[in-house]
Amino acid sequence: MKDYRAVVQANREIAEGIFELTLSLPEEVKVRAGQFAEISAGGAHLLRRPFAVCKAEGKEITVCFQRRGEGTRLLASTGAGERLNVLLPLGNGFYLREEEKKIALVGGGVGIFPMISVLREYAEKKEISAYIGFRSASAVCGLEELNRASRLVAVTDDGSYGEKMNAVQAFEGDLRRGLRPDVALACGPLPMLRALKGVLEREKIPGFVSLEERMGCGIGACLVCVCNLTNGEHARVCRDGPVFAVGDVEL
Amino acid sequence: MADLSVELCGVKLKNPVIAASGTFGFGREFDELYDIGVLGGVSTKGLTPRPRQGNPVPRIAEARGVILNAVGLQNPGVEHFIENDLAWLKGKGTAVIANVAGSTLEEYAGICARLDGLADIVELNISCPNVKRGGMAFGIRPESVREVTAAAKAALKSTPLMVKLSPNVESIAANAAAAEEGGADAVSLVNTFTGMAIDVERRRPVLANNTGGVSGAGIRPIAVRMVFEAAQAVHIPVVGMGGITCAEDAVEFLLAGAAAVQVGTANFTDPMACPKIIEGLGRWCDAHGVRKVSELTGALRLN
Repeated sequence: MKDYRAVVQANREIAEGIFELTLSLPEEVKVRAGQFAEISAGGAHLLRRPFAVCKAEGKEITVCFQRRGEGTRLLASTGAGERLNVLLPLGNGFYLREEEKKIALVGGGVGIFPMISVLREYAEKKEISAYIGFRSASAVCGLEELNRASRLVAVTDDGSYGEKMNAVQAFEGDLRRGLRPDVALACGPLPMLRALKGVLEREKIPGFVSLEERMGCGIGACLVCVCNLTNGEHARVCRDGPVFAVGDVEL
Repeated sequence: MADLSVELCGVKLKNPVIAASGTFGFGREFDELYDIGVLGGVSTKGLTPRPRQGNPVPRIAEARGVILNAVGLQNPGVEHFIENDLAWLKGKGTAVIANVAGSTLEEYAGICARLDGLADIVELNISCPNVKRGGMAFGIRPESVREVTAAAKAALKSTPLMVKLSPNVESIAANAAAAEEGGADAVSLVNTFTGMAIDVERRRPVLANNTGGVSGAGIRPIAVRMVFEAAQAVHIPVVGMGGITCAEDAVEFLLAGAAAVQVGTANFTDPMACPKIIEGLGRWCDAHGVRKVSELTGALRLN
């Protein structure tokens, strides 16, 4: 990991309140699927914000985020040519083993963006089915990237795009049709991850989830962003995660 | 190039910049970003006699120019630190300041005895606002500050003792003087101010602990005033902290009477903050004709 002074190449709203920020770094950085970056939005007066790196190509990286609070409002208003401090790559990321051939991706809301990073790294090597849930048609984005999957099922909570269901229900639909993955990878709101954990445990399918937590340093020093492991210990989401085996972590 | 070295209760620091407890772990993660041997010192994550799990999440919140934290002294325990981190940290060539907390006088004395002769300085945390028995009870009244300091000092035969003071008190000057009377070799201040941030949509505090310690750029003027008052009240060295983000901020604390400074929250907003402040201090001294940074300590001229 290293702290870089990055230049904003582009910043555009790709769906209602969802932004795609492309940054140019002074050198090429190897970023694994599911790893994240800590981006400075307010200098010394605001904590950095952690975002999954969707794409890392050459010296360019792309992150996507939802405009929600002060930090993301500031980031949403940055324009091409502006400079931001970016610390990366952070966290463990997703890692697929050789024998895992059929992969299910389950993503909801802004949790779809780490799934895009998995598709970019593994779409050519694996048979990937992606189950993606949006709030409504106005939130739909990233389809071009998501279409790298061998099979894409995009649904919405209100049925305004695709079927009216959530990503976990879409995944269960395919399970009933006999489409069973070797492993499932997921990112999304906690209720979604909890529902998915239930399905994976019932079906005895291994799974890995990427967690979100409010962070301080982002590198594992401050112990702010811990989660509870099933063995009773605490783990640091930023350093030991953000990706955990679904059976190892309490959701 | 100005001489940045300072002496702190008999320990020579290569510069007056110390990474503050709780923001820096035991230094291993930051050492992946830069050689932490460039630092004057590292104050470790607060150590307790036994491992502690800390508080539930969220443990951090933000407000304008400040953060609130309620980690609750999560740490692997002093034995784990001695076994796994101490030798590595000493090998980095920076002063090792072991920050310790207890819940009874006996625990404070015991953990100090355990670290005696091992750490370069022991920093007594009597001011953690985030755990019920994290020492805050000892840090409020001058009588108990004196008592816990004396108990710790009696357990330390060769390692100097620095007492970290809480700002959530009636008189910082009285508490600094009480630490000196108890036998402290130095005092450090300020720890965090107790605060609360509320999520108005949910009508609940943001922190799971409800309240937390406020730190960051926004508290600096209050911290500078308290360091000034403490420095006036004691003859032992004062280590200043509270919202330092750049070299000029550090100079402010030195002028107010600090012999050295600690940098905490700035490590989050800029992980390279400490080395940048050290470089900046050298440049500031050169630009202002200051040959030794220690000349700045207490060089404030009041209006």
